[in-house]
Amino acid sequence: MSETTHGGIMGGIAGRMPKFIRRADPAVLTAFACIVVLLLLGSLYSRNFLSPEYLLQQLKVASFLGVIATGMMLVILLGQIDLSVPWAVAAGAMMACAAAAYGSVGVALAIPFGVLCGVAIGIVNGIGVAYLRIPSMIITLATNAVAQGLMVVYTGGFSPQDSATAAMRYLATGFTIPGVPNAVIIWALIGAAMVFALTRTSFGRAVYGIGNRERAAYLSGIDTRRVVMIAFAVSGGLSAFGGVLLAGYASKAAQSMGDAYLLPSIAAVVLGGTSILGGRGSYLGTVAGVILITLLQSILSVMQMPEAGRQIIYGVVIVAMLLLYGRAPASR
Amino acid sequence: MDGTAPLFRMEGISKRYGGVRALEKAELTVTAGSIHAILGENGAGKSTLIKIMAGVVAPDEGRMTLDGSEVTFASPAAANQSGIVCIFQELSLIPELSVADNIVISNPPKRFGMIDRKAQRKIAEEALARAGASDIHPRALVKDLPLSRRQMVEIAKALARKPRILILDEATSALTAADVARVFEVLKRLRSEGLALLYISHRMNEIAELADHCTVFRNGRNVASYPAGSKSDNEVVELMIGREYSHIFPPKPASAPAAATVLEARNLSWADRLDNISLSVRAGEVVGLGGLDGQGQRELLLAFFGVLRGLRGEVLIDGRPVSIASPTAASHGRIGMALIPEDRKTEGLMLPMTVRENLSFAALDRLSKAGIIDRAAEQRLIDDMVGLLAIKTAGLDIPVGALSGGNQQKVVIAKWLMRQPRIILLNDPTRGIDVGTKQELYQLMRKLADAGAAILFYSTDYDELIGCCDRVLVLYDGAVKRELVGAGLTEHALIASALNIHGDDVRIGQGEHA
Repeated sequence: MSETTHGGIMGGIAGRMPKFIRRADPAVLTAFACIVVLLLLGSLYSRNFLSPEYLLQQLKVASFLGVIATGMMLVILLGQIDLSVPWAVAAGAMMACAAAAYGSVGVALAIPFGVLCGVAIGIVNGIGVAYLRIPSMIITLATNAVAQGLMVVYTGGFSPQDSATAAMRYLATGFTIPGVPNAVIIWALIGAAMVFALTRTSFGRAVYGIGNRERAAYLSGIDTRRVVMIAFAVSGGLSAFGGVLLAGYASKAAQSMGDAYLLPSIAAVVLGGTSILGGRGSYLGTVAGVILITLLQSILSVMQMPEAGRQIIYGVVIVAMLLLYGRAPASR
Repeated sequence: MDGTAPLFRMEGISKRYGGVRALEKAELTVTAGSIHAILGENGAGKSTLIKIMAGVVAPDEGRMTLDGSEVTFASPAAANQSGIVCIFQELSLIPELSVADNIVISNPPKRFGMIDRKAQRKIAEEALARAGASDIHPRALVKDLPLSRRQMVEIAKALARKPRILILDEATSALTAADVARVFEVLKRLRSEGLALLYISHRMNEIAELADHCTVFRNGRNVASYPAGSKSDNEVVELMIGREYSHIFPPKPASAPAAATVLEARNLSWADRLDNISLSVRAGEVVGLGGLDGQGQRELLLAFFGVLRGLRGEVLIDGRPVSIASPTAASHGRIGMALIPEDRKTEGLMLPMTVRENLSFAALDRLSKAGIIDRAAEQRLIDDMVGLLAIKTAGLDIPVGALSGGNQQKVVIAKWLMRQPRIILLNDPTRGIDVGTKQELYQLMRKLADAGAAILFYSTDYDELIGCCDRVLVLYDGAVKRELVGAGLTEHALIASALNIHGDDVRIGQGEHA
């Protein structure tokens, strides 16, 4: 925890490492070390690997995952999990594009509408976990299936024909500051907001408290159900926002566009040293995890590893990291 | 004893938990064919002693001999192997399995790698018969049996392991009188079969009927060992109580304060644990909850704090009926209630989080504006609290789990004092902390009361209740059985009413001290 309070503020902008090395969590350090190793390995394979263009491109790709993993981290810090990410992403993208088909008002409201659809999915998850006491693994899987069904009904099972609005494309692919893609700026802003929420607000304290010992948090007068509810709503909203950005990046939404983000988002959070049991972890770690996963994907695709091979490697990497860090109980 | 060599012997056994000494150079000798009673107050070291015997915890020092040769037990299974079987106070049966399944659960009979159901049933029937409970069907599910029958199954389960030494830790507390009589017959028969029985109970009359030999524990030491019947009940109670703490309590106010009633309960009932409880606490008053462990005291505190669902009856704050639906409602706003929970490690603190985060956790709403924590205000209040309670910590940013038990408990109390509560509920706050810290907490409690707080204080330590409280309500089976005030608040009266017998009936008192 201490590294979040001291080093976290800059964490959203992928940080300057030496400053926090003394205080940082070993898991976060390991993740950053792995990034360096991957870059070196990649540069052996291809000279382009260390070029600024390539690295910036990777950072841009990473920011979509980064936005989604931010919400996932919040839920994992509570000791829960959000498996509704795939169709929250797709629903956000599809609904934003769908709104765009309804004239200029639709275009203007496309992004908030997409995000709100994700928030709605998150609220259903939150009600299920916090008030109905359904295990998050079950309820989020169920809402994922329902969201999928609704989207399939809406699109008739075909790729939706609506295309992304200009604003969505601008957010995902444009440049406000020369040289820095907008997507990266958005991730940095969301990351900074999350760091602030986790370290400086009573909500953040409550999240860590519940993740460590829900009973103690409840008996301390914290409205634990409200906190859990908000966390799931935020996670759903960020997943959908990730979907909105992806739709802007690809100019349109697609069926099952979110499937590729479930495992990586969990993996990024866990690789960054956040305990899968909740209560422990810093956003800086999640940043490292996201970059690590993105680089791993990039190298595997440069090496023309087939999709099946990539999935196997993710799984193995996650298990290996869990063996290293996840086994320390959240509390003794 | 009757000239036979001891079957089992413990010498110089010591055990510490953190800074707290649970056992200090304790001795115990167990002879085959006898029933040995162990007496002592709550926290005297009885449970630790039998946990060591049963292989649940390892002693820090000392040796144990069985049949004259030294033994150590790495696990309860190893102790079972050597013939030491323990029946703990809490039931260990799995409700969804049948009686027979439960009886052989640790070592089921096998045939071709599968459980041999026929053999299993035979073992279960034999064990049940030996336990005097042959009316229980081996195929019945444990969840369908009433509590007293389950306790019989528990005894049968222990007997199926062919023990040489059988330990019963408050094993009769859940039984009806008829069952107790049957268990006693069984225990006497087992004694005649040559088993050694170790019997722990708070019920003096049971011990008088059953035991051959008694050992009294106090503060982790065995203070006396004598053949049953050679000491009067008076002497035994004196041995159990001891007198070390009496000087550490702050003076009580001379007369009862005439302040307004702050907290009141009318006919409070919950499930089968709370039975029609009515009580009131005035501002500036420390009211104790006494009685044996588990008579509904914890539930009562949780009920006030808004944790229990389905509560019947009325709670009044400042004379006005309120409905407290959650700890949030209880602690926030006008009510201003605080609960120091039973288990500081799981209910009071988030151990891996820092001292700072734990201290401000209950008062976050007061320390933040629009959800953002005012760090300067937080620091000021924390400094105040650390000073007020003299919390010894190497810093505010170390995990609270690194502090000693007493300092952890201070953090739990401090985190609630940060809200300046008007009503303070304490659930056995001095359990497992050292005498020095205890003394500080007593002083603090009186100081808070003098400043106008209404305090409801549950303790398993009778000395504490007598030393700290203006009044003590004694609970038995979920109901308030007796209220002790002023000169009537004595150990003898407390123990007698805790056992739900009138002091004169068993003559455990030798008149009042006053």
